[in-house]
Amino acid sequence: MDNNQSRVSAVFSALSDPTRRRILARLSRDGEGPVTDLARPFRISLPAISRHLRVLERAELIGRRRDGRVHLIRARSEGLKPAQDWIENYAATWEFSFDRLDALLKEEQRGKSKAGTRTRSPTRKGRRK
Amino acid sequence: MKSEMETGRDWLRLTRIFDAPRAVLFKWWASGERLQQWFGVAGMARCEIETDFQVGGAFKQTMQMADGREFSSSGVYEEIIVPERIVYRTNFGAASMRVTVEFIDLGKQTKLVLSHEGPVDESFIDKMTKGTSSALDLLDELVRSELMQHGEDHT
Repeated sequence: MDNNQSRVSAVFSALSDPTRRRILARLSRDGEGPVTDLARPFRISLPAISRHLRVLERAELIGRRRDGRVHLIRARSEGLKPAQDWIENYAATWEFSFDRLDALLKEEQRGKSKAGTRTRSPTRKGRRK
Repeated sequence: MKSEMETGRDWLRLTRIFDAPRAVLFKWWASGERLQQWFGVAGMARCEIETDFQVGGAFKQTMQMADGREFSSSGVYEEIIVPERIVYRTNFGAASMRVTVEFIDLGKQTKLVLSHEGPVDESFIDKMTKGTSSALDLLDELVRSELMQHGEDHT
């Protein structure tokens, strides 16, 4: 799979979970903090939080650094950009495709209205680069 | 005419009206040979689409860009009702996305509604697509909505 696409997919699956979105929201509001502080308000176990953090980390939505034995976590808002771009591109792809479909349909209708004059196949003509 | 984009029950929905009867429009979705004549992206050099157009049948699309990069995607048809409705599931890395294409009869015109479900929920896409220009704004929005939805945590 294309590298960017797997990045986007990682971001989407990371964000599909409400707990992970809340973790991200907190980090973004409160700034960098140790994992233990982060776990406290969620009433879930530290290993469970760690699993969520690993998913967020793989998606490059958070960064981690170590200060001695303490792991400090921070949000990386720039990590959202690929997903945001993807959605925009995705909508643009359909728009581009629909424009071409529209042109093919118009051609087809025109071809029908002058039935009998079959000089060229209307389904072939719309094929551009 | 351009498409309308909205987020609702599903996370992303595109609607567009085509100047063609429903049966004619549907035909352009029902075979790889026809699909590859219109489906694609800007800057693409070549597009090949193979379909096994039946419930449980697969489709595969390969696109080559002008700069040589190649993209491919695939999926499986889950529901086909000629000429009203096509539902397919397409892989999206680890996640998958379900797409429903509805053909609504308007006489000489047809309204096409393309709805997406997964891989994320609509509230998120809503924020992603509405008026937020930068990723930072987006995160900001997320923070506000998440904290509002759940109260101020249980600190």
